[in-house]
Amino acid sequence: MKAILNYIRKETWSPYVAGILMGLVGIMAVWLSDSLLGASGAFENLVGMIGQAFVPEAFDNMYFNFIMPPGITYGVMMLVGLFFGGLIGAATSGTLKWGKKDAANSDEQWKRIFGPQTWKRWLLAFLGAIVLEYAAGIAGGCTSGLAISGGMLLAPAAFLFIAAMFASGILTALIVYRRRY
Amino acid sequence: MGNLILALILGAFFGFALNKAGLTKYNKIVNVFRFTDMAVLQFMMTALVVAMIGLYGLRALGVLEFPNIPGTYIVGNVIGGLIFGIGMALTGY
Repeated sequence: MKAILNYIRKETWSPYVAGILMGLVGIMAVWLSDSLLGASGAFENLVGMIGQAFVPEAFDNMYFNFIMPPGITYGVMMLVGLFFGGLIGAATSGTLKWGKKDAANSDEQWKRIFGPQTWKRWLLAFLGAIVLEYAAGIAGGCTSGLAISGGMLLAPAAFLFIAAMFASGILTALIVYRRRY
Repeated sequence: MGNLILALILGAFFGFALNKAGLTKYNKIVNVFRFTDMAVLQFMMTALVVAMIGLYGLRALGVLEFPNIPGTYIVGNVIGGLIFGIGMALTGY
């Protein structure tokens, strides 16, 4: 028991152990709620809700009416859970940096490559996330919603997505890191 | 309603697993594309194998049925994946 508690307090688990937990969560999602895991779809549900409240005509299209219905969906709740799950994870390992000095930009590797400015990190994260979210909309899911949830049902879409994601990810990293790759 | 609470709990375990695998960090995500840290792949593939065995096993036992599997649109999946990779390598999502 003590060993388990100590393991929970460790900052970084073996990815295999965390992967097993992830796989079990995936099984539970299908078994208990007949749904798949996902993270990116929730943003579209939320945006749809805000959009329909303010500019209903712009959001009255196929995508928001049928593919990504607005509202507090299963995915939105999962996203909220994700946030708190991550928070709990960090709290148990004592790495929660709430309000601490470099909480907004604490990644050493990032600073080495892009410089120490926090605004740069936030700007690039914001722009990158727009790209991500848009791409997830085209592909029909993100790393969790399509690659893991689809892959565990052996959906061909998931494996196409994983292959394409790694191909362009490697290329982008090559360009960003150049000689330091 | 029960389903939404379940989603919250499952999401929390999901986030916990991601955090403990270190996948909430920029360097973990980008280093898999530099082949210097394979945690993302190790995590993903372990999750896939565990879930595949569990799901197909439970379906064979008649315990559960599969939900709609994500549709295959070859062009959409591939183009989406290509753009997604750019965002992923930049942001560290």
